[in-house]
Amino acid sequence: MLPLSLLRTAQNHPMLVELKNGETYNGHLVACDNWMNINLREVICTSRDGDRFWRMPECYIRGSTIKYLRIPDEVIDMVKEEVVAKSRGRGGGGGRGRGRGGGGRGGAFGRGGRGGKGDNRRPNRGGGPMRS
Amino acid sequence: MAQQGEKKKKESILDLSRFIDKTIRVKFQGGREVSGVLKGYDPLLNLVLDGATEYLRDPDDPFKITDDTRELGLTVCRGTSVVLICPSDNMEPIANPFLQQDG
Repeated sequence: MLPLSLLRTAQNHPMLVELKNGETYNGHLVACDNWMNINLREVICTSRDGDRFWRMPECYIRGSTIKYLRIPDEVIDMVKEEVVAKSRGRGGGGGRGRGRGGGGRGGAFGRGGRGGKGDNRRPNRGGGPMRS
Repeated sequence: MAQQGEKKKKESILDLSRFIDKTIRVKFQGGREVSGVLKGYDPLLNLVLDGATEYLRDPDDPFKITDDTRELGLTVCRGTSVVLICPSDNMEPIANPFLQQDG
């Protein structure tokens, strides 16, 4: 499973995006591209220290500034089908079958941990977002 | 090369033409924040902002922006350093929206 496939599958789902500067953005994914640039709708921005919040109807975020995204668990079940369908659809050249081999879910990337493990420096800031 | 890919891959996922002659808020790498009226743009996200206003930051905490502003006037913003773009109207500070949900 490719990271960007998962992200594409997550379109129209709520998600949390943390930027390298520490700000987080909660919103529904409208669109993303191959650079991981993303478009969010109905966004809540949380400041780096987690005690100031802004609401904005939409925003565009440059992919290169993203630290990580948190995506609803159920999306992972949807991504598989899409990958299979895609590799079938591509048909033509036997060249670069993406997906297919990537079988097992979970594995190395333990998805279990709900508590922002990604960022050791500032564990558990105010308002553990996402959980909506 | 990258540019070619971009061309092939239809247009940007962001339709900046919607924001022309509207005030937008732009955040930059390094922490600067600016708002201004969008007068032009290109696929690399370089922007022309008219009547741009920079929101100055707290000298003690460069991640915290204050109410102080600085008028920049007509500007060209370099696309590679743009981090975030959002429409300026309807962007409002709110109370912590996550408190009640956590319960």
